[in-house]
Amino acid sequence: MKPDAKPDAEPGGKSDEGSHRHGTADAAASDGYPAARLRLLQEDGQSGPARRAALAGLTDAWLSSLFTGAAARLPGVSLVAVGGYGRGELSPRSDLDLLLLYDARADPGGVAALADRIWYPVWDLGLALDHSVRTPAEARRTAGGDLKAHLSLLDARHLAGDPALSAELRTTVLADWRNQAPGRLPELRELCAERAARQGELRYLLEPDLKEARGGLRDATVLRAVAASWLADAPREGLAEARRVLLDTRDALHLATGRATDRLSLQEQDQVAARLGLRDADVLLRTVYEAARTIAYAGDVTWREVGRVLRARSRRPRLRGVLGRGGFGRGGAAQPERTPLAEGVVEQEGEAVLARTARPEQDPVLPLRAAAAAAQAGLPLSPHAVRRLAAATRPLPTPWPAEARDRLVTLLGAGRPTVDVWDALDAEGMISRLLPDWEWVRCRPQRNAVHTWTVDRHLVETAVRASALTRRVGRPDLLLVAALLHDIGKGRPGDHSEAGAARAAGIAADLGFDAADTAVLTTLVRHHLLLVETATRRDLDDPATVAAVTDAVGSAGTLELLHALTEADALATGPAAWSAWRGHLVADLVRRAAAVLTGRAPRQAEPSEPTAEQERLAMEAFRTGGPVLRLRAEPEPPPDTGAGSGNGPPALAAGAGAPGGPEPLGVELLVAVPEQPGVLPAVAGVLALHRMTVRTAELRVKELPDGLAAQTGTAGPDLRARGGHGADGADGTDGADGAARAGGRAAGPSPAAVLLLDWRVAAEYGSLPQATRLRADLVRALDGSLDIAGRLAERDAAYPRRRGTAPPPPRVAPAPAGSRRATVIEVRAQDAPGLLHRVGRALDAAGVRVRSAHVSTLGSNAVDAFYVTDAEGAPLTVERADGVARSLEAALRA
Amino acid sequence: MKLITAVVKPHRLDEIKEALQASGVHGLTVTEASGYGRQRGHTEVYRGAEYTVDLVPKIRIEVLVEDDDAEHVTDVIVKAARTGKIGDGKVWSVPVDAAVRVRTGERGPDAL
Repeated sequence: MKPDAKPDAEPGGKSDEGSHRHGTADAAASDGYPAARLRLLQEDGQSGPARRAALAGLTDAWLSSLFTGAAARLPGVSLVAVGGYGRGELSPRSDLDLLLLYDARADPGGVAALADRIWYPVWDLGLALDHSVRTPAEARRTAGGDLKAHLSLLDARHLAGDPALSAELRTTVLADWRNQAPGRLPELRELCAERAARQGELRYLLEPDLKEARGGLRDATVLRAVAASWLADAPREGLAEARRVLLDTRDALHLATGRATDRLSLQEQDQVAARLGLRDADVLLRTVYEAARTIAYAGDVTWREVGRVLRARSRRPRLRGVLGRGGFGRGGAAQPERTPLAEGVVEQEGEAVLARTARPEQDPVLPLRAAAAAAQAGLPLSPHAVRRLAAATRPLPTPWPAEARDRLVTLLGAGRPTVDVWDALDAEGMISRLLPDWEWVRCRPQRNAVHTWTVDRHLVETAVRASALTRRVGRPDLLLVAALLHDIGKGRPGDHSEAGAARAAGIAADLGFDAADTAVLTTLVRHHLLLVETATRRDLDDPATVAAVTDAVGSAGTLELLHALTEADALATGPAAWSAWRGHLVADLVRRAAAVLTGRAPRQAEPSEPTAEQERLAMEAFRTGGPVLRLRAEPEPPPDTGAGSGNGPPALAAGAGAPGGPEPLGVELLVAVPEQPGVLPAVAGVLALHRMTVRTAELRVKELPDGLAAQTGTAGPDLRARGGHGADGADGTDGADGAARAGGRAAGPSPAAVLLLDWRVAAEYGSLPQATRLRADLVRALDGSLDIAGRLAERDAAYPRRRGTAPPPPRVAPAPAGSRRATVIEVRAQDAPGLLHRVGRALDAAGVRVRSAHVSTLGSNAVDAFYVTDAEGAPLTVERADGVARSLEAALRA
Repeated sequence: MKLITAVVKPHRLDEIKEALQASGVHGLTVTEASGYGRQRGHTEVYRGAEYTVDLVPKIRIEVLVEDDDAEHVTDVIVKAARTGKIGDGKVWSVPVDAAVRVRTGERGPDAL
């Protein structure tokens, strides 16, 4: 407030306007105070808490002398410091929060005159003043209606006048606070959440507000208020120290700017750092961020504790009733409800916690699994769980097992909830343990006005933004990991893209990506700025511009990833970094580059020749006319060893990991079924019923040797007539064309073609079901006696809907330039129980035949390609393909 | 005083900035813009499907200069912006009544 500002005329007791000034009478007292104040602030000897206390003490003495000078004989009046001043801490430019308290004994006219004789000298000195004049009852009423006023009164401190009056106020206000806490704390929590949403998270902001941002001084004050309610207490560890750091920084900021500002803007950071004796602004920000992290973490824990206490209170009456009816002997708290989220992870009271059966010591993937499950469900990870994980889990082996990599991708792809879960892991140092390079970017400020956030938060934000773009790319896992790593070179010498690419190559290999994927990730990191820089600065009509991009990127798949990464990165940078204008330029460049690259893009890898074992299964299926099924835990033997026994002990599997590639996730499931409609939905449905998730799935039609088919005599002539046709297929997938077509039409019990399914599946919880049970259910599913859709719907309904953010909608489209012999339909969707079953049913309903399928689950994203033909075995027309894609998409959205 | 406005291809910005600096212009304002002129956008073929780009991304550069410098500065911008192809853009100038430097309150040519 400016020195010449007039007090507000406000009903309810604030001092009235219109009184004349009393400056002269107080001149003697004021003369000493400004000089002493100036000495204190400019003196180098004192700083930090001591200076704040000294400034408050000095101000106390001055106000007290003003009060005594003006109201020596006035009864029933006292002067009370509230808010920050009430806590006895004054920053150089802090407001003075003052309350003039009076009761029935005081003469109202005398009180107004007294107020003027205190407020005016304060204004005359140019100090900001927050003032009110009230009776204790009025103060109580105001507090009752205004939460902020109540908080400020909790810190009331007697300055001058009648001590009994001040003490009465303090006692009643505190008593009210405790009585009303169950109603007011949720209100306060709401207020804090709303402020956090508005101001952002202090520890990630490059120009943070030290007071209002989440984890700032205001939150520290709120924690004191919660403690004063006696309902819950904050974890004290480091809290006072964190508060001191923020207060010291604010003092230096006030002195550096000469203004009462709480925003640590870029231009002030160097000066503030110098005043605090820190090496540079980076050190300053890291110190401030660590302090804010401590306060924000204490806040999270405290509010969850408050929630628990309040819930327990509201439950208590009902519980008593139950106990009363049920007799005695059931002492202790009721068992909280737990619902499973993933192996070893359950939900309890709105948090993800470790299951009782979880064994962190023996399960190095558990932290990532718990984090991924929590983020996907939109739940916070319990701090106790994180602590236990941090203390007990052993480091992951390098390269990471497939499950760890997959869970990381799932965690990164969960959208907004990823941020808090990631943060909970980081608070216990677990991210740096998983990715040692993280330490370089953790809390690292960026000296760039375009950026909003610190490097670590920007990386996580980029992953969050990328999770919304996963349907645009064929490899969502690479997109998400590239988003996390794209700036990992920041803080290292040299160009951050180059340094980052070098680091990314090492990290990708440690994460267990194969050489090809590692190369793509490295390219993405190295060129993450290429598209935006080229599009906005180079002439897009110049073929050399496009050539520079295609040379750097190399393939259409990488280009598509780079495009999505560019957009996610820009969106995660700040409001100035992305616009429709930029998006348009980048899209234009990508279109031009894609036109060049599509021609030379390698086709999707075709399935290898069937192994001897698959041949054997196919024959068996053909002979028996029913499904044949193999489930095994060890990797497939190399092709030259021929058909091995499918029942090796799991112990062998661990040792037999392929040395070249990363160990795949889950177990192998081989199924051979005589070709008939409904195989895909039946197999997928049976697996879903047995709570197994499909990680990858290959499906193809296997043509049977001519001789054998002829022996059976059913489809012989037809098959032979078309045999040559199948053999000359350039596309291996379609090699079985003739036979399959014949088999599809064959009506007898011995069709001439067999569907071969080579899947990798994993049990959602616990152990795998027995192969015989799977087969029995598959037989029932195929003959229609098992209502899979109904059973799945029933189970879905029994589970509560999770709160996690809505994933991007599914996308189904015919792939351009697909196979010559079949139409390729690409499906990209959020993985869910029974997804493949629904896809298969929708394809059946659309009347198309699936000739082969390539299904992969990458984290929580399913990326599938189905090679389909019409009933006659010919590729679909463009219109038909679009229609099938649309109906499939509609089926998945439902 | 004159306000010179140029709407040009985005990738010419660096050249124009350098040319203006070399000719003694110290300040300019750049805005991301989109629009079309005589070319009416353009049509392209991508993956066999024709699509029309009706609004083309451009940048808009604004420079305040004294009357005597206007012609020269316009020429500098035109020269730096030219690629000789369709869509190179346009440069125009309009008279300016008043200009004030906010910090000091200087007015007229002193404020430039």
